[in-house]
Amino acid sequence: MNDAPRFSKRQIIYAVVAVVWIVSPLFLDNYQTDVLNTVGLYAILALSLNVILGYGGMFHMGHAAFYAIGAYTTAILSTQFGVPTMWTMPIAGILAGVFALIVARPIIHLRGDYLLIVTIGMVEIVRIAIINDAVSSAAKFLNKGFMLLGIQDWALCEKIANASTGGPNGIFGVAAPSIFGFEINGIVNTTHYFFLITAFLAATILLFFLLERSRYGRALRYLCSDEIAAEGSGVNTSGYKLSAFVIGAFWAGMAGTLFAGKITFISPTSFTFAESVTLFMIVILGGSGYIPGVILGALLVVGLPEIFQDFQKWRMLVFGIVLVIMMVLRPQGIMPPKPPKYPIHKVDEREVTL
Amino acid sequence: MKKILFLIAALSIIAAGTALAADTVKIGLTAPITGSWAAEGQDMKQICELLADQVNADGGLLGKEVEVVVADDGGNEQTAALAAQRLATKGIVAVVGTYGSSVTEASQGIYNAAKIPQIANGSTAVRLTEKGLKYFFRTSPRDDEQGRVAAKTLMGMGYKKIAILHDNTTYAKGLAEETKALLDKEPVELVFFDALTPGEQDYTTILTTLKTKNAEVVFFTGYYPEAGLMLRQKKEMGFDVPFVGGDATNNPDLVKIAGKDAAEGFYFISPPVPQDLPSKEAKDFLAAYTKKYGAAPGSIWAVLSGDGFRVMVEAIKQTNSTDPNKIADYLHTGMKDFPGLTGTISFNEKGDRVGDVYRVYKVDAEGGFILQ
Amino acid sequence: MEQFFQQLTNGLAIGGIYALIALGYTLVYGVLKLINFAHGDLFTIGAFLGLSLLTAFSLTDKLGFAMGVGALVLMIVCLVGIIGILLDQAAYKPLRTSPRLSAVVSALGMSIVFSNAIMLVFGPNPQVYPHGILPTSVLHIFGLPFPVKRLLLLVTSVVLMAALYFFIQKTTIGAAIRAAAIDQDAARLMGINVNLVIMLIFFIGPALGGAAGVMVGLYYGQIKWTMGWLYGLKAFTAAILGGIGNIPGAMVGGLLLGVIESLGSAYISMAWKDAITFVVLILILIVRPTGLLGERVAEKI
Repeated sequence: MNDAPRFSKRQIIYAVVAVVWIVSPLFLDNYQTDVLNTVGLYAILALSLNVILGYGGMFHMGHAAFYAIGAYTTAILSTQFGVPTMWTMPIAGILAGVFALIVARPIIHLRGDYLLIVTIGMVEIVRIAIINDAVSSAAKFLNKGFMLLGIQDWALCEKIANASTGGPNGIFGVAAPSIFGFEINGIVNTTHYFFLITAFLAATILLFFLLERSRYGRALRYLCSDEIAAEGSGVNTSGYKLSAFVIGAFWAGMAGTLFAGKITFISPTSFTFAESVTLFMIVILGGSGYIPGVILGALLVVGLPEIFQDFQKWRMLVFGIVLVIMMVLRPQGIMPPKPPKYPIHKVDEREVTL
Repeated sequence: MKKILFLIAALSIIAAGTALAADTVKIGLTAPITGSWAAEGQDMKQICELLADQVNADGGLLGKEVEVVVADDGGNEQTAALAAQRLATKGIVAVVGTYGSSVTEASQGIYNAAKIPQIANGSTAVRLTEKGLKYFFRTSPRDDEQGRVAAKTLMGMGYKKIAILHDNTTYAKGLAEETKALLDKEPVELVFFDALTPGEQDYTTILTTLKTKNAEVVFFTGYYPEAGLMLRQKKEMGFDVPFVGGDATNNPDLVKIAGKDAAEGFYFISPPVPQDLPSKEAKDFLAAYTKKYGAAPGSIWAVLSGDGFRVMVEAIKQTNSTDPNKIADYLHTGMKDFPGLTGTISFNEKGDRVGDVYRVYKVDAEGGFILQ
Repeated sequence: MEQFFQQLTNGLAIGGIYALIALGYTLVYGVLKLINFAHGDLFTIGAFLGLSLLTAFSLTDKLGFAMGVGALVLMIVCLVGIIGILLDQAAYKPLRTSPRLSAVVSALGMSIVFSNAIMLVFGPNPQVYPHGILPTSVLHIFGLPFPVKRLLLLVTSVVLMAALYFFIQKTTIGAAIRAAAIDQDAARLMGINVNLVIMLIFFIGPALGGAAGVMVGLYYGQIKWTMGWLYGLKAFTAAILGGIGNIPGAMVGGLLLGVIESLGSAYISMAWKDAITFVVLILILIVRPTGLLGERVAEKI
């Protein structure tokens, strides 16, 4: 086995793709880089959905809800409390995760299409709550609680009492993220933001790659392919499903921070059911359960409508046709996961004695 | 001889064509060509392209042809931000659009950072011009301005129990809240303030609720498809409360949807429609548009994009340059009572259009919009 | 109390439409386990084609009200049914043996194609059915006003649903459909042409959706190219609410959804209407995980 190549063909291809991706802004203008930024953002979101949909096999079409919670957490903390944008990222993730935990707990046992409609309902409820500014009512309630507890920080109390999603107007003026005092402004310089998103994407890929290979990841895939058998082998199915939901939501919440920091203005129309559908399509089209496939899916679903800009009013029609053709030609997804191989040769046959 | 003349003529046309194509003044247009507001966006595109043809027929701009570079914003913020980045790399000297307030908000920072003067046409949210952006203008009026006219109109009608209905879009809710704030100071009772879900077709539930609240007049701040349906269903229910609409109900399709007898007596507040402007510009424009596309433009908002285009052309002409600072300065201070398609146009230091733009219209028995 | 009954009938009127569209979802799902997300757009196609045919042949002028509308609905049922079969052949048939969600994405793609095609053919503006086709008179029952056209709407949808129910339950073809829904392979062994059954399903489901489109056009007057998305989502919710794959479930789910919407917005909040509906749906599913009437066909676990 020693004379086998140190890198497989596949690994070399990935390395080349990664290098091309990183140097691409040198050759692209602001707009093209911004398209890549959007692709990167959707890739991160789709990878987080992939944990739930691809590994966990749960029909989840409401991922935009978690993304929205993350983005709004960042926007509110940044504009109304003056918290630096990057610091809000873990809070955004945690809030989205906690929300997922509370909401998913009673519905996790629902099968297939019933789960699908419930997650659609979830994204609609979140969107309507944002439009009707549920945060404002909750904040006033919280503020009363603080007063009863005798917390005397008036400035903070006032800020809490005024916290708001801005209703349909959304929130304007999210501060651009800064790292070590260096401001990364996605509007002025899309290349700077490109590196921020790329770094986060790289971390996402690494994390989910390790997750996929871990004992946890294997258990998740097991219950995805055969729930009864998994349960029979002692896998705590609902616990695994729930944790997959929370991990995916946590990561989508953090991606929400990246979105809010990039566009600096968010409103409920960015987090519709249609947005969830886009993410769903990315995962299934690219190759459900396979990281490179999901990234390719993001590139296609986000990139193609931009390439079709010159078709003007025909562009979405063309996009729809291409989508169907791709799906029909590659029913398992463009890059489906290969079945995992567990090499036998590691076991030295001479040692096996009967 | 004829052949030679023909050849020379043909060659000179080709030469002229290539010379002009190589060097044009590019004006961007972001519009919702696809998505829910596609009707507005496609009208905007037709209007700006028609006006560009007219400018070119009159000898162009700065000795060059004008070219409209269109980007589809899909009526969606993320697409709009991409569209703005896209146009900013296309060498445009100014940009017209876009329609929705939140979509404009997602793009205005990008244009401002790229120093491209932007002139929005349908974005009425107050906040847009309150940020001190130097290169941002709009031909559309603001919600607070319309709220003032709406409150005045409602008070003038003499009703005591007023209902306000919006549709939870940025524009409609903004207008509803501006109006509500003003009415709260008046001796009238606000019996209803809530939102419908736009895009549906059955509004009988809402109408039944309005009936039980004994509203004497309903102010609906949303868009014409919902207004038309409500007028129709209200008539069928035998509920004869007067309806007043905001300027998003200003569309001839309103009468088509509601039917003439149901639409009769409907009031709305709007900038004047081109048909009502005595100016030569408005008349010529309407004639040319109808000739080219076979129908009059749908709504006032698309026409306002035409005004944005004309204003930008005028600014480039007057300053004889494409320098963004000169254009912005001229629009802020130099432009006085420019004859637009929707009345005279000047801008204040914020980039808002100044002057009394709003009129009150009433639908007559023939479905015509009559200026009050 | 009068308001309550008024709102109840408001809800039933729109609920009848939801139910009719939900039947298309449920039929296709029952046999193929496929959520046909393009179904809402087939409904829109029905509405738009109906308008074109109505004005092109001036049907109601020539044939009178009842005959004209009948002929129109018949034409639309055939046309949209054929479009449904073509849709299946082009976008779903190649994916029969693939993972279930691939066909869902294909359906979402077709939904984009259909809605944008409608926009390109008919223009992006809302279109309007001619006024005054349906009778405008109002009946008074127990002192409550009932517009005749609303009764017509409700009766038509109930009749269509009942006809479908009897077709599925009492005819030989219906038995074949039920057999294919339970086990396609076993049905094939029993000599049932399952491919034909699937074609039939893709004719009936879209045809009912198309008929609902015409009814919406005639009743409300205004149709828009984006409306399929909204109605489709509501109808899918209705189908799930009743128990997807279950025909009486779709009827009950549709009517109930309409009533929940109407009463929710009348007595709780208008702006929160859709959120209230979904909360009720989630609560029902927590208590009854396969919908109110349950699935007729158990899914393979």
